[in-house]
Amino acid sequence: MRPDQVHIDFGTPEGPTPRTSDEYEQVSYPSTHNHDHQHHHTTHTHTHRNEGGNESLPLHYMSEETARRRVAKGPGNSGGFMSGEESEKDMPYDDTGKDVYSKMRPGAGVPRVSSGRVHRPPPPPPTSITEYIHQNMDIVTPIFYTLLSCWSRFRKIGLNDHVVWDEAHFGKFGSYYLRREFYFDVHPPLGKMLVGFAGALVGYDGSFQFESGAQYTENVPYVAWRVVMSMFGVALVPIAWFTAVELGMSQFACHVVALMVLCDVGWLVISRFILLDSMLLFFTFTTVFFLAKFHNEQHHSFSFDWWMWLTLTGFSIGCVCSVKWVGLFVTSVVGLYTIEDLWEKFGDLRLSNRQQIRHWGARITCLITIPILVYMASFKLHFMILNHSGTGDAQMSSLFQAHLVGNDFATNPLEVAYGSRITLKNMGWGGGLLHSHVQTYPTGSEQQQVTCYHYKDNNNEWNILPRWDEPAFDPNSDMRFLKHGDIIRLQHGPSTRNLHSHEVAGPITKVNYEVSCYGNATVGDYHDYWVVEVLDDIKQGKREHVEKIHALTTRLRFRHSTLGCYLHAGTVPLPQWGFKQIETTCIKENDPSDAHTIWNVEGHWNDRLPPADATYHKSPFLRDFWHLNVAMMTSNNALMPDVDKEDILASVPTDWPLMRLGLRMCGWGDEIPKYYLIGTPIVWWGSFVAIIISVFVLGAYLLRWQRKYVDMDAHEWGHFLYVGKIAFYGWFLHYIPFFIMGRVTYVHHYLPTLYFAVLMFGHVFDHFFFSSRRLSTKTKRIVFGVVTFLIVANFWWFRGLAWGMEGPINDHWGLQWRKSWNIYNI
Amino acid sequence: MSSDSTIRQRRVPGGSGQAGAYDQDGEDHVNTVYQNPRARSQWEQLLDTPRASMAVVGVLTTLAFALRFYKINHPDQVVFDEVHFGKFAAYYILREYYFDVHPPLTKLLFGLAGWFVGFDGNFTFDNIGDSYTENHVPYVGMRAMPAIFGSLTVPAVYAIMKESGYSTIVAAFSASIILFDNAHIAQSRLMLLDAPFIFFMSMTIYSYIRWRKLRYHEFSVEWWSWLFGTGFWMACTWGSKVNGVLTVVTIGIAVLIDLWDMLDWKKNGYTMEHFWKHFGARAAGLIAWPVVLYLIFFWFHFTVLIYSGAGDSFMSPAFQETLIGNELLMNSQDLHYYDIITIKHKDTKVFLHSHPETYPLRYDDGRISSQGQQVTGYAHDDTNNHWQIIPTKSLPDWHQARIVRHEDVIQLLHVNTQTLLMTHDVASSLMATNQEFTTWPREDQTRYNDTLFHLEVVDGVIAEAWKSKSSHFRLVHVPTRVSMWTYSSQLPEWAFKQQEVNGNKNPTDKSAAWVVSDILETDAPVDLENQQPKEPKKLGFFRKFAELQVLMLQHNAGLTASHPYASGPINWPFLISGISFWTENDSQKQIYLIGNLIGWWASVVALSIYFGIVGADLLARRRDVYPVPDEVRNRLWNSAGFFVLVWAVHYLPFFLMGRQLFIHHYLPSHLASAMVAGAVLNFVISETINFPVSIAGRSTKMRPSQYADLGIRGPVITGLFIFALFLMFMFLAPLTYGTPGLDGDTVNAKRLLSSWTLHFAAKVTDGQS
Repeated sequence: MRPDQVHIDFGTPEGPTPRTSDEYEQVSYPSTHNHDHQHHHTTHTHTHRNEGGNESLPLHYMSEETARRRVAKGPGNSGGFMSGEESEKDMPYDDTGKDVYSKMRPGAGVPRVSSGRVHRPPPPPPTSITEYIHQNMDIVTPIFYTLLSCWSRFRKIGLNDHVVWDEAHFGKFGSYYLRREFYFDVHPPLGKMLVGFAGALVGYDGSFQFESGAQYTENVPYVAWRVVMSMFGVALVPIAWFTAVELGMSQFACHVVALMVLCDVGWLVISRFILLDSMLLFFTFTTVFFLAKFHNEQHHSFSFDWWMWLTLTGFSIGCVCSVKWVGLFVTSVVGLYTIEDLWEKFGDLRLSNRQQIRHWGARITCLITIPILVYMASFKLHFMILNHSGTGDAQMSSLFQAHLVGNDFATNPLEVAYGSRITLKNMGWGGGLLHSHVQTYPTGSEQQQVTCYHYKDNNNEWNILPRWDEPAFDPNSDMRFLKHGDIIRLQHGPSTRNLHSHEVAGPITKVNYEVSCYGNATVGDYHDYWVVEVLDDIKQGKREHVEKIHALTTRLRFRHSTLGCYLHAGTVPLPQWGFKQIETTCIKENDPSDAHTIWNVEGHWNDRLPPADATYHKSPFLRDFWHLNVAMMTSNNALMPDVDKEDILASVPTDWPLMRLGLRMCGWGDEIPKYYLIGTPIVWWGSFVAIIISVFVLGAYLLRWQRKYVDMDAHEWGHFLYVGKIAFYGWFLHYIPFFIMGRVTYVHHYLPTLYFAVLMFGHVFDHFFFSSRRLSTKTKRIVFGVVTFLIVANFWWFRGLAWGMEGPINDHWGLQWRKSWNIYNI
Repeated sequence: MSSDSTIRQRRVPGGSGQAGAYDQDGEDHVNTVYQNPRARSQWEQLLDTPRASMAVVGVLTTLAFALRFYKINHPDQVVFDEVHFGKFAAYYILREYYFDVHPPLTKLLFGLAGWFVGFDGNFTFDNIGDSYTENHVPYVGMRAMPAIFGSLTVPAVYAIMKESGYSTIVAAFSASIILFDNAHIAQSRLMLLDAPFIFFMSMTIYSYIRWRKLRYHEFSVEWWSWLFGTGFWMACTWGSKVNGVLTVVTIGIAVLIDLWDMLDWKKNGYTMEHFWKHFGARAAGLIAWPVVLYLIFFWFHFTVLIYSGAGDSFMSPAFQETLIGNELLMNSQDLHYYDIITIKHKDTKVFLHSHPETYPLRYDDGRISSQGQQVTGYAHDDTNNHWQIIPTKSLPDWHQARIVRHEDVIQLLHVNTQTLLMTHDVASSLMATNQEFTTWPREDQTRYNDTLFHLEVVDGVIAEAWKSKSSHFRLVHVPTRVSMWTYSSQLPEWAFKQQEVNGNKNPTDKSAAWVVSDILETDAPVDLENQQPKEPKKLGFFRKFAELQVLMLQHNAGLTASHPYASGPINWPFLISGISFWTENDSQKQIYLIGNLIGWWASVVALSIYFGIVGADLLARRRDVYPVPDEVRNRLWNSAGFFVLVWAVHYLPFFLMGRQLFIHHYLPSHLASAMVAGAVLNFVISETINFPVSIAGRSTKMRPSQYADLGIRGPVITGLFIFALFLMFMFLAPLTYGTPGLDGDTVNAKRLLSSWTLHFAAKVTDGQS
């Protein structure tokens, strides 16, 4: 709705005052303000610097009766606390901007921000030590919490000298960095590089195999390594404290948030091992912190601090996404905040176009470009460090592999000729090598299986031979190079059978023809003929420029000469009889853009040809980057819950907030210390309840707002919404997507989500108790005392889950708070 | 004709300070012209008379009937889902119980229509292509029912537009999109649920709009009637298809927005008391009343279907025993200790089986078995399926005490090998997480504990007798708490490819239910009374209703099997693919469900324009530019916005559904998009509107009336559009009516989008063969 027209005639000084203090007079003012109001009536040019202080805002002193008043139809109809910018009482009337609807001019003598932390004036110099300490409490308290955090994280950290839980993965990945062997994993590399870096710092040489549950050998300084990794976990507590401060929570609420982060056994136990989660949490926490910092600079646009915090937010987003893709959720919190912010700016008519563009540009640069650069940089580093051949080779393109030390195919002969022994790599993202083995199809033709396989063995090798009706291949004849349009036979190396296709439906994909291996070196028919079609060459360019087919770079397709179909390896795995290898068929559709029908020669052996120049091949970074990301995406999606295998560790999102299931992190024998991954109940349950309450509270306030009750003044409401939105969006966006995802989920996926619930817990307590005007300080202290006691006591009760439970598990009494937990052996 | 200052700024920028600089120039111009209905163009005046309106709607309705009844007797064969809905009608006539995922109203109407035209129910509609004439099915009468509803949808759309304040010509525009739509016609001419469903839906919208227009006459008789009318049609919509829930949601959202506005103290100044009165009225008319109607439909459903039929096995035993002639009712008997029985798995219908062969010591994957006797699931009758119930407590002599009861601990003896069923903590052959089932010699007491099973009758009460046929039960192993379970997965050759039976660690798993199939030997005296037909038992209506509702929801979600003509929601508005309903090879005839390309694409364009306008307006307002006059904007938001809401609510949820989806699920949304198209047309060719639309009450602030004037452009554009629609309709008609037959090249010509899968296409000669 368009606000009504307002007639303000500033030209006549004696005229009716716009928005007089009539409304102010509904509340009783402290006497000091009278002077100010006199001012109001006499001059309108005066800017009200005196009103800047928090204390001087009159509505804070509203009594209960006046707080529940309805706002009369004042000028601009700007009643209600939703219209924060239009609120009457702190509208600076200056001559230049006659627009009474506009927002406060940033920095124009209005030191108070509408939400976030309240900036206080600097205190007078201290006169005694106690005063000095008192003045510096904002430093002392976090230091105190940091020390506590160190103690809780480092305590007995080396108690279990076995590979605990996913250390088996991440310790191993860290070792790969130290050994510089290429590996493949579903997570982006930053976190694992940091693990590797920490390993290098503590003097580990990368030689340990990290078998699950194995005992550490002497050459693995696992204690120091864990200590370095848990630094990230240590930092969570002070960051949470500072975030709460920056979000403008009261002291009590800040303490509650910091204590909850300190005392949650879930966060504690996950920080104490060589895992990625502590880093993911760390960067999630920093992102929220930087965002809150940035928000507090909102009225100092383009100041140094403003740029710094914005850039740091972007940097932090980049880091969190480079640790795990889950980081995208916190990114979307920042995204929502930014969209809302920009929408506000878009409606601010007093910003010049130039300023608008600068605002948009700053966001795009800092929140989109920087994160992408950070993400890509982590991959660049990843590729630079891992320059040896390793277990992950097969996921990458042949060209990339050619560069890894330990792979010889960069020096294999370049030009493919008849008589060459080759391996063929499918160019679909994450495609494998054309493979055959002696096992036969159980259905269809029941001939020898042809599949696509990701690992290297002899069964991937094929010989290029002429057709049956041509003279047989003679190793002593002239070299005959392979060209576009040649009709050839592909003979499987070990079994000497020929690659064959016929009008039999494929084993899984029934619309395609089956591809099998048939005959032998002398037996065969015209169904063994394949037409080589060159698509293009990465080096030489289009088909017209390709004279000879090159290994690694030429992109080929194989058309069956009689059926006209194309050799195709999709993404469908065969059942157990095919060892879950990829189904390979002949597809009828001729689609040159279908990467699954495109192949390149990977390995190439021919004694009569000279080795190629290794520097000839170069794999462009962006291609590798994209390739690896698609492969990660594919495998991530492939982590589907296996119906055949009930995974006792997996849980579903509905299990998390109320902690239906925990997770045993290591062997459960009597002799080893045991860790159980589950939260401190009061932290998890309490924070979840806070989320629920917040929804109802917001609903109630909205209804009252629609009935035009004023429960809070504009700033208070703005603040209530701002903190609530950060916490609720964060929680929602970190939680709901797990319902939609098809992949297996575990309880530790809730850990980043929990942070936002904890913030909400602090916020709700702040709103109802610690910042309440109705409660006395004494009541607030009592509430705070009770909450603190409950959190700490609850943590102490469950401390063993994180610090390690020694001896038989059933000797530890009283831990089974829910029937569904499997802490005890039954 | 358009007013020249459409862009007005609220405040003069630059701080000129002249408060009066803003005036209502543009608005005044519009007002002076259109406040007088006589100032409108002649065309508009002519068409806007009630008589002209009647004539237009008369022509549209006649055409609608003609197009939907044309050759309704062709084909005289079962087409597509007539397989289901024809069959259901037959069941109503035979009064045999069946199960379907959709609520019963439309199917009851089919039954009624069938009964009315003298169908005796003795045709089973088994396959697409079965002949009606040969089987003497009065199918024309049954098809007439949806055709009538489908035809009436056209005037309903017209009336909605008219009531919403659009000109006759705009209303005709929207109605003709439905009138000439091949998909709506194809769907209306056959025994399918959609035509009545869509008619009920449009009537819901119509009643709601009528009711909304009476908002200044709150609590008047008319107001109450339209409120309850909305509730009535809503119940009908919901009662004829599950998707009707979406209509309920639409109305629900609109009502909530309305109530929210009503709360605004500043705008209305209503007291809370007044608000609660409104709230109560809506709760009564739009919740309580439809629920009662919905229950009534089901009451009819249960009252008609009293005999046992095809749907029995979906229901719980308690439900089945209320049906006359049900097998459970007839043959269910109490089980006694030492009875010899066969046990069948409820879901996969295999018998619990064992044979002397043992599990191989070492499996292919290297794991090791106990090498015990195999226990499998076997689908066929065999003496190896016989098991005897062995008690684990001493039994008194009288036979009443020998009845096996819920929560008894029993052993099962495999009769042929005289071994006892048991399980232990050894991984089963196919699933490493589940326990292996095997048997143990009866004499050997060493593994006695492992042979104990706890009998849990599903939903059993204390001391309830275990019955054959009717008791679903789980066998939970006493020491390890696993439940005997099987699933459709074959064991390898060494077990003759029989089905694996293993121990499921979730003892209450739903799929672990078994049932005793037959009693082969019993010591108990044979109950002579059993030989006589039993009286069906009684079950409360609400229990039956609740059970059926739950099952309907479960099965609806479970319809995930792939179907060759299923398509994703994103394809629907663009008509990417249709459904082949019926084909006849000899004459090369085909019925292919596809919409009128022009109508559908026009609707998509209209929706895009709508979102474009609204988005641009929002952005402009943010920058303090007011491009659209308030009245027109209100119309865009409230009237066209409501149609868009209908469209969105009937469309977007499909993106979240996992079940198989077809293009006919878009038809309700298409109807809404046709109305959006009308509203957008009105906006695009003229910025005038009819105002006010709502009927003024005593307290209404009177504002000057306005009249829409589309001038000559309206009729011309609509006329051309209808002509184009008609041509496209005629072009696709052979696919809609399934006649005449087409030769290959014509089929190719009619394949307007390459994604349409038409039969009888001629081979394309170019390209590779």
